[in-house]
Amino acid sequence: MESSYIIGSIIVATLATYATRIIPFLLFRTREPSPLIKYIELNMPLMIMVILVFYALKDVKWEAYPYGLAEIIGVCVAIALHVKFKNALLSIFIATLTYMILIQNVF
Amino acid sequence: MNFVAIFKLTIPVMMGYIPLGMAFGLLLSKLLIPWYYAFFMSVFIFAGSGQFLALTLFASQATILEIGIATFLLNLRHTFYGLSMISAFKDFSWKKHYLIFGLTDETFALLKTSDVPEANREKAYLWITFLNQCYWIIGSVVGALLGNVLPFNYAGIEFSLTALFVVLSIELYKKNRLHKPFFVALIIGLFGMILFPPQKMLILSLCLAAFVLIVFKRSMENGK
Repeated sequence: MESSYIIGSIIVATLATYATRIIPFLLFRTREPSPLIKYIELNMPLMIMVILVFYALKDVKWEAYPYGLAEIIGVCVAIALHVKFKNALLSIFIATLTYMILIQNVF
Repeated sequence: MNFVAIFKLTIPVMMGYIPLGMAFGLLLSKLLIPWYYAFFMSVFIFAGSGQFLALTLFASQATILEIGIATFLLNLRHTFYGLSMISAFKDFSWKKHYLIFGLTDETFALLKTSDVPEANREKAYLWITFLNQCYWIIGSVVGALLGNVLPFNYAGIEFSLTALFVVLSIELYKKNRLHKPFFVALIIGLFGMILFPPQKMLILSLCLAAFVLIVFKRSMENGK
């Protein structure tokens, strides 16, 4: 692979990624955001976060053994621990450990 | 918020970014691309799925224009993140450009849920973004250089990012005044995961969510 091709691609991908991140800031640089924008700003993050959970699970093969069981158990462990102890690090750490043990040793 | 508290906040991202970055670096080295390009890509592009996509396109010898368009479309979801950060970044100095540049899925998630006192918010946000990018760079360079020889079986560690999103969803649910968007997003996410093509699942689901949020504003605000 030629280095000019790789470098050119990196520059283009950099600009394309940055563009997606700066667009809203350019649009609302001068005007005060409308009530509708404020409403989106308040409620969209919660929706994004929930959808990201499903996005993170998009490559799970639900129709074949083990039917995404490790992922379901991992998510349940995270929810249960977090509702009970409200300690983000603990919930994430134990859930990940559970998941790793499951996929490495059980399924 | 002191440095230790900020660092603790970023640990889940570290647990996800280092192995994921390593997977990226490993893939890059398998395409026989020199390791320092892993470094440059993670410094300048800094978009997980975007960088994996770039490698896939390298492998199929896509044109530079195609790479640009595909990256733009894949990362279009970040527009929604920016939209949710406008007021948060409004009074920051020129350094906010680094925050905007570094607004990945995970950084957005941390910034949106962290409770930083307003006085040192800009500094804390910069540190969170910078630490996250460091994890990503370290992972990708280590993966490119020695992903093949590491003996540790870290299969499954990327689940920490899934768990992070789960935990932060609960946090935001508790914070949010309206609860209906949460249940709508649950349905859309499930629906999107099953029905949408995996590469387009995120942007399609987010557009659908934004659409429902706006069109049904009245009923979202009714009740609770």
